[in-house]
Amino acid sequence: MRLYLSQIGALVRKDLLIEARLRERVVAMGAFAVLIGILFNFALDRTAVRPQEIAAGLIWLTIVFGGLMGMGRTFQMEREDGALEGLLLSPVPRDALYLSKVVANFVLLSAVVLLIFGIFGLFFSLDFGRSPLALVAVILLGVLGFVALGTLFSAISAGTGMGESLLPILVFPLLVPMVIYGVTATAALFAGLPPAEVSGSLRMLGAFALISLAGGTTLFRFIVEE
Amino acid sequence: MSSRTRLLALALGVLGVLAMLVLHWQVFFWVPTEASMGIVQRIFYIHLPAALVAYLAFGIVALCSAVYLWLGEEKLDMAARAAAEGGILFTAIVLITGPLWGKIAWNTWWTWEPRLTFTLLLFFIYLGYFLVRSSTENAQQGKRFAAVVGIIGALNIPVIHLSVVWFRSLHPEPVVLKAEGPTLHPDMLTTLLTGMLAFTLVFLSLFLFRYAVAQLEYHRALARRDADRAFEGSGPSRPRDHATGGGR
Repeated sequence: MRLYLSQIGALVRKDLLIEARLRERVVAMGAFAVLIGILFNFALDRTAVRPQEIAAGLIWLTIVFGGLMGMGRTFQMEREDGALEGLLLSPVPRDALYLSKVVANFVLLSAVVLLIFGIFGLFFSLDFGRSPLALVAVILLGVLGFVALGTLFSAISAGTGMGESLLPILVFPLLVPMVIYGVTATAALFAGLPPAEVSGSLRMLGAFALISLAGGTTLFRFIVEE
Repeated sequence: MSSRTRLLALALGVLGVLAMLVLHWQVFFWVPTEASMGIVQRIFYIHLPAALVAYLAFGIVALCSAVYLWLGEEKLDMAARAAAEGGILFTAIVLITGPLWGKIAWNTWWTWEPRLTFTLLLFFIYLGYFLVRSSTENAQQGKRFAAVVGIIGALNIPVIHLSVVWFRSLHPEPVVLKAEGPTLHPDMLTTLLTGMLAFTLVFLSLFLFRYAVAQLEYHRALARRDADRAFEGSGPSRPRDHATGGGR
C-alpha cells in the first residue's frame, strides 16, 4: 500500500512538474475561462437577467468546457516519443497510472476553478453566499467525478482517429448528474441558503464521483493494453 | 453453428412479424380507446415495448462487454455490438413515438421530461459506443474501448436516471408495474403484452442475424489472413489458428 501510494505520488509529481515548467494546459484553461467570461458579458442582456441568478449555471458550464479542453490533452505527451510504453513497462500498476493522472488533473482543474470563481465574481459582481465551506465541498466533489470520467475518456479518445473531438460526445451524456446537482447546490448557496439545504446534492455528487472513480480505476487497464 | 443461428433468427423473425401484425390489428381495431387521453394513447402500445426492449438491449451490451474484457472471447464482443445496434434502433423508435404522442397529449413536441431526457442521453451514450469502435485503427483496441464505454455508460445509468427524475417529472406514472396490480383495462393489458412479445421477438431476431453476420465477417477475415500467409510463402496455414479464435 505504501509502495502504491509512493508510486502515485511520483507520477503526480512528474505530471505537475511538467505542467509547472510548460504551463501549457493551465494557461489554455485559464485564458479560456477569462475569455468566456467576457463573451458571456456580451451574450447576456444584463438589464433583463440578473447575473447572480444564472451565475451557477454559467460557472459550471465554463468548468465543463474549459476542463474538457485541458483534459483532452492528458495523454498527449505520453503518446509522443513512446513515453506511454515506457510507463507501461515500468513496474507501476495500471490503476496507479490512472489515479495519478486523475490527481494531477484534479489539482490543475481545481486551480482553474478557483480562477473561474474569482473572474466571474469580479466580472458579474457575484455574491457567493454565506457558507464557503459547503461551496468548496460541492465544487471539489463535482470536479472529482468530472476528472475521473474525463481522464478515462481522454485515454480512449487519444487512441482513436477522431482525437479530442470525440471527447464531448463520450463525456457530456455522463456529466448530466454533475451539472444538475452541482448547479442546483451552487445556486442554492449563492442565494444564501444554509449548507443543510444542499446535503442531498452533496450525496449525489459523492455517489457520482465514487462510481466514476471506481469504474475508471477498474477499466483503465483495458484501454492502455496493447 | 452459424447456419443454425441464422435459422433460429429467421424463425424468431417470422414469429415477430406475425406478432407485430396482431399488435397493429389490436391497436387500430380492437383495443378500447382510453377515456382521458383519447385515440393518441394507442401509440403507447408501441412506445413502451420499444423502450423496454431498448433497456434490455443495453443491459446485454453492458453484460457482454464486461465478460468480454474479462475473458477476451470474440463472440462476446460480437454479441455486445449486435445488441447495441438493436438498442440504438429501438431507442430511436422511442424517441420518435414519444414526441408524436407528446405533441397531442402535452401540446409540445419536446419537454425536459425525465424519461424522455434519459432516453435521449442513452441514445448518445451508445452513439459514442459506435464512434469509438469505428474511429480506432487497431480493431482489437477499438473493441476494448467500446466495451469500456458500454460499461461506464451502464454504471452511470442509475445516477443519471435518478438525477433527471429528480430534476423534473411530468411523465404519466407507471400503469402496469406497481404494488396494487395493474390499473389497465384487461384488453389494454393484452394489447400491451402482445406489444412486448412482438418487440422482444423482433429484437432477438435482429440480434441473432447481426450476430451471425459478425461471425461470418470474422471467419472471412481469418480465412483471408491465412490465404495471405500462404501467398507470401511463409508456410501453409495452420488450422490451429481457427480453433484458438482469439483474433490476433
